[in-house]
Formats: sequence, C-alpha cells, structure tokens
Amino acid sequence: MAGRDRFDILIAGGMLVCVLTLGVLLAGGQERDPSTAALDKALEQQIAYQARIDFLHNLYQPVEDLRLAGQVSAALLKLDELARHYPQEAHGQILQAEILLERGVTRESIDHYVRALRLNGDYVDKASPLSRRSEIEQLVEAQLPVFAARVRKNPQDPALQKSLTGLYYLQSRLAGGCE
Amino acid sequence: MDWFERQNIIVIVSGLSLGVLGVLLVLWGNPQNSGICVSCFLENSAGALGLHDNPRMQYLRPELIGFVLGAVVAAFAGREFKSRGGSAPLPRLLAGVFLIVGCAVFIGCPIKMFFRLMAGDLTTLAGIAGLVVGVWLGLKGLAAGVHIGGSKQQADGAGIWVPLAFLLLLAFILWPPAFLLQSTRGSAAQAAPVLIALAVGLSLGVLAQRSRFCITGSIRDGLLMGHRSPLLWGFIAFLVSGFITSLATDQFKPGFYGQPGAHLDLLWGFLGMLLVGLLSVLIGGCPFRQLIKSGEGDADAGLVVIGMFLGAGLVQSWQIAGTTAGVSLYGKVAVMVGLIFVLVNMLFYRERLD
Repeated sequence: MAGRDRFDILIAGGMLVCVLTLGVLLAGGQERDPSTAALDKALEQQIAYQARIDFLHNLYQPVEDLRLAGQVSAALLKLDELARHYPQEAHGQILQAEILLERGVTRESIDHYVRALRLNGDYVDKASPLSRRSEIEQLVEAQLPVFAARVRKNPQDPALQKSLTGLYYLQSRLAGGCE
Repeated sequence: MDWFERQNIIVIVSGLSLGVLGVLLVLWGNPQNSGICVSCFLENSAGALGLHDNPRMQYLRPELIGFVLGAVVAAFAGREFKSRGGSAPLPRLLAGVFLIVGCAVFIGCPIKMFFRLMAGDLTTLAGIAGLVVGVWLGLKGLAAGVHIGGSKQQADGAGIWVPLAFLLLLAFILWPPAFLLQSTRGSAAQAAPVLIALAVGLSLGVLAQRSRFCITGSIRDGLLMGHRSPLLWGFIAFLVSGFITSLATDQFKPGFYGQPGAHLDLLWGFLGMLLVGLLSVLIGGCPFRQLIKSGEGDADAGLVVIGMFLGAGLVQSWQIAGTTAGVSLYGKVAVMVGLIFVLVNMLFYRERLD
C-alpha cells in the first residue's frame, strides 16, 4: 500500500488521544484517585510486619517473664505448650535456643537456632527488630573451633557431625548472600 | 587471535569491567557474592512487581534495567537494532522459566556462580562442572541436528516491546507507583545506591551488546575453538579481574563451609547448572545474554526474558529456589521437569536427513 491514507490518519489521531489521556492521568490523577491509598502495598506490608512483631512479643511474654524470674524449667514447658499451637513459629525456637545456651546445653541450642533460621531469616538481619545476629555470631565464633576439633577426634559420631553442620549453616547465614 | 583487533579488545574490556564492577557492587551495598546475578535480580524484581510474596526478596534492581537499556543504546548507536523473532515462541518462553529454575536451585546465574568461585566458594565447583557438561551436551545436540529455529526479520515494531517494558520499569524506579514493593529486610534490602547500580548496569549493557559477551557462549566457544576464541579470553579476563578485586577488597574467603548463599546439595547444584548450560546452548545464550539480545530487538530473546520473569515469581512462590539449608523437594522435581522439557524438545526439534 503506497502513501498514507485516511485510515493511517485515523489510527494516528486515536493514538494521540490515548497518549494525551495517559499524560493527564499520570500528571494529576494520582492525587485525585481515592483508591491509591488502599493500593499502598509497601505500607500495608510494614504494618503487617509490625503487627506480627507485637503479636510475637505478647505471645512469648509469659516465657520471658518466667526466664526473668529464674523459672527456667517452667519457661521451657511454656515454650513446649506454645510450640504445639504454633509449630511453624521461629520465635519459640530462638527463645528455646537462648535458654538452652544459658544452661550450657550447646548441642540442642545449635539445633534450635538452625530450626529458627530455616523458618525465618530475620533473626540474622542487622536491621530487624527480631535480630539475634550478635548472639549467633558469638555462638559460631566460640563453638565452631570446638566442634571441628571434636569431630576430628570422633569422626564417626553422627550427633557431633550434626552440630558441626548446624554451625556451618549458621555461619553461612551470617555471611549473607541472596536467598 | 589478534589481540589488537577492535572487537577482541572490546570483549576483553567487557570481561574486565564485569569482574571489577560485579565485586565492587557488593562493596557498594549489594548482597555478598551477588554484586551481579541475573536470576537473583529477576527474583527481586518479580517480587517488587508482586509476582511473589517473599517479603525478603522484593526490590526492582536498577542493574537489570540498565543491562537491557544499555544494550538498546549500543544497538541503536551501532545500527544493530533489528526486530527479529518468530522461532518456537512457546518453547522459548518455557525455556526462560526453566533457566531460572536451574539458577534458583543452584542459587545464582552463571555470572554469580563465577563471582562465588572468585570469592572462594568451593561449593560452586559442582555447578561449574554441571554448566560445562550442560554446554557440552548442548553442543552434541546441535551437532546431531537439534535446531530450535533461527530468528527471522520481523516488522519494525516487533522488537521494541521488551525495551519499552524495561523503560516502564525505569519509570517505576524514578516515580515508584503505590503497588511497587520494596523489602525492608533480607537480601533484597541490601542494594547499591540506585544511580550507581543503574550506571553500572547501563555501561555493562553497552559493553555486552558490543562484545556479545556471554558466559555459556564463552564456554561453548572454548570447547569448539580452544584458545582461538575471543569470548574465552573475555571470560578469562572476567575471572582474573574478579579474583584480583575480591582479593583486594578482602572478600576472598576460600572454603566449602559457611559460604554466603551456598548449599551443600552438590548433586542438585550440578543438575541445576546442567539444565542452565543445556538450555543456554539451545536458545543461544545465558540469562545475561538473553537480556542483552532482547535489547537489540530480538523478540525471541524477549520471550525468554518474559519467561525468566515468570520463572522468578514461581521459584519463590512454589519454594523451588534453593537456600543455604539445601534444595527442597519442589526444587528437585522442578529441575527434573526442566530436564525432561529440554530433552523432549531436543527430540522434537531435531532436523533429520530423511
């Protein structure tokens, strides 16, 4: 087909109208659009996260209270009870790991830290309000050489091997990366 | 190889720039060992656009946009922007999905795999072996007549849609709409400043378009042509510059254990990268090269890019992506489905003499 005909002009005209309308919508439409506030997903996400943190604090407050009162066994029982209701919740695992570490039960403590981080990586984030990064860093720094030496002495001990693998996992999570 | 020929110099400069800038991006804020990772960037960007709901993986990565738009600028400047396509659209779209499946199971695209190696991560050796075997199998397939079909010149507008889509994504970065998501924690919250990331992406996009730099292409040419291949020398320049920059910036920590974003499911790392290598040879380039080709007006590569975005959403939503804890059952199944997909296509697209 040679040259431009009326159909081409019609298409070009329609396109011009659409471009102008788009320009008007983008230039001033956002302020007037009542649905925009409801669409602010980033804000919604932040609110939901903050609500989750508050919920966790409330949920596990009795455990913290028992710990402060020195009733460690009762705190562990309370954690067991909460774990039955919220089996996929990492915060309980973190608290259990901390209590066990305080009592010197290092192997089980490592297991619980690993379980917690598999469920939720926020605990190694520097900026997260849930962060336990420095505690986990101290654990890895202190225990990795100890468990590596023990595994060298007893290479057939599967429990020792499991703890060492757990420490390597924690070290890997602390190192960062994209996942 | 003539070292002073212009094209060869561009290839070497591309490799050097990729190695240095990729490591520097980590210093400027990107996650450890992920200065440049096409699959991670796609997963982050897919999350930012709402294609998955992992709140730790949502950020529209400017580098990704820079790669494509840099290629567009270079292609127009070099009068190489040509709309082409029309070859096996649906298999290419699905190939894009499975490219990301393979990368996500390994945790990283081929570029990141070598960045991980240059930072001392020895678990990547399994992935490297997988990628080389995948490329080698792909070459065997090509030699046996497997041919997905060549792109044909298309109407002028066919190749502009993916570049325009990336221009829209650039607009999203400059004027973020309310629906755009951005992680405040996790790896997607770690990012180089936007303008630096964009500048790096644009410059690498320009260089990669001019040089045709491609990780799997370098391995392919290395297997075919040995030391006579310019791409292989560009690849070596990338490895050397990345390694030296890693050493100089104290990021080199050799070992198998405790590496950032790495797992010890070595078999699945091997198979994931085998899938990537095999697919890349059959569709003509690694994930990075597909982005660059889509910026040159290649609508076939554009479909692969769309497939990669789709895959990036799926690997997060369906828990296919590998993590430091290892590869999930879904990840293993997805790799197997990917391998079946590619083998079926190798049968269907085989040109036979009779």
